[in-house]
Amino acid sequence: MKNSERSRLNGEAEEEDDEEENLNGGLEAWERSYADDRSWEALQEDESGFLRPIDNSAIYHAQYRRRLRGRSLTAATARIQKGLIRYLYIVIDLSRAAAEMDFRPSRMAVVAKQVEAFVREFFYQNPLSQIGLVTVKDGVANCLTDLGGSPESHIKALMGKLGCSGDSSIQNALDLVHGLLNQIPSYGHREVLILYSALSTCDPGDIMETIQKCKESKIRCSVIGLSAEMFICKHLCQETGGTYSVALDESHSKELILEHAPPPPAIAEFAIASLIKMGFPQRAGEGSISICSCHKEVKVGVGYTCPRCKARVCELPTECRICGLQLVSSPHLARSYHHLFPIAPFDEATPSRLNDLHNISRSTCFGCQQSLLASDLGLLSLILIFTPKIFPFDGEPEARLAANILQSLLGCEHEGCILTPVGLIMTPAIVGKYIDAAAAAAAPVYQMKSPLMMRRKSFIKYILAADPVLLYVRIFLCYFQV
Amino acid sequence: MIFKLEDVTVYFPYDNIYPEQYSYMLELKRALDAKGHCLLEMPTGTGKTIALLSLITSYVLSKPENPVKLIYCTRTVHEMEKTLAELKLLHNYQTRHLGPAAKILAIGLSSRKNLCVNSRVLAAENRDSVDAACRKRTASWVRALAAENPNIETCEFFENYEKAASAAVLPPGVYTLQDLRAFGKQQGWCPYFLARHMVQFANVVVYSYQYLLDPKVAGIISKEMQKESVVVFDEAHNIDNVCIEALSVSVRRQTLEGATRNLSRINQEIERFKATDAGRLRAEYNRLVEGLALRGNLPIADAWLSNPALPSDILKEAVPGNIRRAEHFLHVLRRLVQYLRGRLETENVEKEGPVSFVASITAHAGIDQKTLRFCYERLHSLMLTLEITDTDEFLHIQTICDFATLVGTYTRGFSIIIEPFDERMPHIPDPVLQLSCHDASLAVKPVFDRFQSVVITSGTLSPIDLYPRLLNFHPVVSRSFKMSLTRDCICPMVLTRGSDQLPVSTKFDMRSDPGVARNYGKLLVEMVSIVPDGIVCFFVSYSYMDEIIATWNDSGILKEIMQHKLVFIETQDVVETTLALDNYRKACDCGRGAVFFSVARGKVAEGIDFDRHYGRLVIMFGVPFQYTLSKILLARLEYLRDTFQIKEGDFLTFDALRQAAQCVGRVIRSKADYGMMIFADKRYSRHDKRSKLPGWILSHLRDAHLNLSTDMALHIAREVGNFY
Repeated sequence: MKNSERSRLNGEAEEEDDEEENLNGGLEAWERSYADDRSWEALQEDESGFLRPIDNSAIYHAQYRRRLRGRSLTAATARIQKGLIRYLYIVIDLSRAAAEMDFRPSRMAVVAKQVEAFVREFFYQNPLSQIGLVTVKDGVANCLTDLGGSPESHIKALMGKLGCSGDSSIQNALDLVHGLLNQIPSYGHREVLILYSALSTCDPGDIMETIQKCKESKIRCSVIGLSAEMFICKHLCQETGGTYSVALDESHSKELILEHAPPPPAIAEFAIASLIKMGFPQRAGEGSISICSCHKEVKVGVGYTCPRCKARVCELPTECRICGLQLVSSPHLARSYHHLFPIAPFDEATPSRLNDLHNISRSTCFGCQQSLLASDLGLLSLILIFTPKIFPFDGEPEARLAANILQSLLGCEHEGCILTPVGLIMTPAIVGKYIDAAAAAAAPVYQMKSPLMMRRKSFIKYILAADPVLLYVRIFLCYFQV
Repeated sequence: MIFKLEDVTVYFPYDNIYPEQYSYMLELKRALDAKGHCLLEMPTGTGKTIALLSLITSYVLSKPENPVKLIYCTRTVHEMEKTLAELKLLHNYQTRHLGPAAKILAIGLSSRKNLCVNSRVLAAENRDSVDAACRKRTASWVRALAAENPNIETCEFFENYEKAASAAVLPPGVYTLQDLRAFGKQQGWCPYFLARHMVQFANVVVYSYQYLLDPKVAGIISKEMQKESVVVFDEAHNIDNVCIEALSVSVRRQTLEGATRNLSRINQEIERFKATDAGRLRAEYNRLVEGLALRGNLPIADAWLSNPALPSDILKEAVPGNIRRAEHFLHVLRRLVQYLRGRLETENVEKEGPVSFVASITAHAGIDQKTLRFCYERLHSLMLTLEITDTDEFLHIQTICDFATLVGTYTRGFSIIIEPFDERMPHIPDPVLQLSCHDASLAVKPVFDRFQSVVITSGTLSPIDLYPRLLNFHPVVSRSFKMSLTRDCICPMVLTRGSDQLPVSTKFDMRSDPGVARNYGKLLVEMVSIVPDGIVCFFVSYSYMDEIIATWNDSGILKEIMQHKLVFIETQDVVETTLALDNYRKACDCGRGAVFFSVARGKVAEGIDFDRHYGRLVIMFGVPFQYTLSKILLARLEYLRDTFQIKEGDFLTFDALRQAAQCVGRVIRSKADYGMMIFADKRYSRHDKRSKLPGWILSHLRDAHLNLSTDMALHIAREVGNFY
């Protein structure tokens, strides 16, 4: 048995080698096997001294269970108030410890990569919120970017500033963030997310006072440690109501950081409803040349016009530079809105049920109950697989998105169907594209579970490339329907 | 939860019970059934105290026909308070389920310093002066004087207590020291005397080891305890040392000088009394003729330290004639002091048995053994007669009398060692005469003989078969329990080689090797960079610590450590150490991180907990053997070999390993805690050493972690996910 396992292991290694051959042909074979992937970390010694591959299935299963639990929890308490307008500062520790190589290639690079992903995901889920970046280096905290709603500018600023030295100081970072966050309006939720590499903090004064100050200003501080649990971080999070977690490896750290993307439950003191003035600018000036107020540059192409002062901004959501009005579009509101009414948990589909799906074919539209054309049926049976009731996946934002999109696609083109949005610019050509994509994905769906997932992803990417904003308008309408 | 343990219904105040607690109770119950003594080892943090308390109280409840009293001995006041708090919880639980039938009286007893509520008495700075200040206000003659002269200060609490007389009782309940003080304040009764009075009636008494082991104290406090008592010694891994210390006396030059001063002071007093109140001295003389046993009619407040663990016949015997008169007794003491001074003048180290020492005293100073034996009692009686209340001034002469009594009483198990200077500093003459006790069983014997069951329990009692031999008793149960853990919360490892693969050790011949110091330094430098919050390092001795820190300082290792964490060092000065500890805690709290350098067998290693983030890693540099050239230790080893057939090596290893286990055990104080333990010495990998570690450490010590070098240890430290 041992031999067979060995050979299997070897076989796998060879396969990997073959694949890598194309990627980095410049290295010697032995170098290749060590350079990029830490093969020894995939092995562990058991009681009798044999080497075995690490059994990850238990971990994965636990994660899966946890997510399931989390989902059912949110479903049960679906009416939790959540802070939708968040002002989040991400504090990135760029002290000496960030140069450690235990994450490849270095903690700093990993963190930067994950912050990038997080920023995108964050704005995707919280379009009304804003992020600022703070770095800590040589014991001093610097504000890298001010609060803003554009992911690109943050990411650009961060990537340009990588490099680490000196000690790290939580207190300095908190002081800086506290000063910055104190100015924001009271309806916004103040949050700090600290990505901490170091194992100690070198503070100029009493950090306990600073923590109390943050607590008084209702700043929710969360920490993700990259090395080990520290008492002060735990204390900080406990005091201010944040969460503290420590990453075991890269993938875990990514998971942890992304957990911060959905909005946290609102703090009781902030739960009072308040009215916020917002503008919904028109998309205008297609092809015309104008100066945008946000970059102070001459721009050609699509822009938005502030409904109050008529200034021109080039992206949404933002705050008008001239009159200070919050500018959003309705899809943004809608996207935030779905945190309050999350979609119901999916029922897991067994392979046998998947096969049955052939037979379950509804011939009426979800929206208008009119019978569908025979040519639509192919699409429908595919779509049914992805609808929430039988979706075999959970939690992943992509899955949620897919469910949303497909739900929206369930509408038909019959006249008078409530799912056919009024004035929607959804040309038959676009729908046709989706159908193509669906058809491309359709073939292997019924055979196995895992290929289904893979295909699903590519399918979603394809749709995303089409035009997410427009899709979301439809999703928004869908909510009223469900 | 309530459950049946054989025929006893156990009331346990928590909803869950750990398996080891259950088996602990089971063993304990069997010992109680058998009315015998037992030795139980269970790691700290597993709820030993509560298991013990709830079993014994439940045992009493379910067998009302033979009421058993629980005498619980702790080492420190802090532990006493913790025990009483647990007991309170338990008591509430039991009364909730059983109603008033479960009511018991439980009190803590401590010194006046901890119990006094008189603000003027408390103003005194140390224990002895508080005692003296109290006596100044409560001694019977002072109070008699005060009745006539209102200017003489008395203690209102004591007066009230006396007035209430037999009405002064505590209602049933659990009283911590704090509660006692509050109760005393509220009622206006002196809590100290109240507690001392109530000890006889209480179902549970919690007090310090000394009250049972130190014969001088045990006599007054514990003599009325009934035979049907269960005596518990908690944290008893050092019980043999406590016993030995209780019977050891050391005399220095200062002691002798002080004693001379005391003697002349006593002389003046005698002269004064002769002039004013000669009848008093005569009355004392008559009393002494009748025998010491009659002394019992003195009021309780005056009964201070008395009655060493003497053979009972001495109490019935009359004081020998030659010291009955005060002046004669003074002459005897003068001669004794003079003789001791002469002995201290020696140039060489001398070692003698008590018999020859007494013979030499008889020859040179003309004091025979019987006279020596009565010194303590006689001095005590004299000081009462002379109405001396500031007893703290007379400590020196008391020491001399202690010495004389012990020398006169015991012929075996002791030796007298005179050293003209400290071994480590041969240039500074500091003569010291030590009467050292070698036999721990002497002090503890009366306890074993008198009480029905004695329970000795601690987190580290390994190897468990050695204690019965050291203390000379036969346990009916001796068991060691392991900790049941939901996850591996300790990670012990043995580091035998440095990063350069050279062995590391604090063995005598390798001690001065710079390579070892460098390797130790490297280890620490690597560790400080990957371990969060607090790290505690234990060294084998102060001198070794000083030496190695100096080396590290020269080679810049200390600076490297300081880059990651602050460094704090234990010194022999208590105040300094306390300050360092405070700042260490602060540094851990605020996230700066800190390293604490400490010494095995020091104050810190014995009494300070480094739980939670205060100790995430503990490194034991070397094996903490005792200073093997010490004359006292040599004498003790010889005695152990001759009397108990314990090999020197065995005892030394046992002692060193229990110290090491005690040191590393400082970091785990509860099951939710976690930490790494590194034994940095190649000798730990040897079986004879390793096997003497307690079971709960051994069970986590994997074979793969037995022979590591620095970088391997580092890798494991990174690997262990337990910092998550």
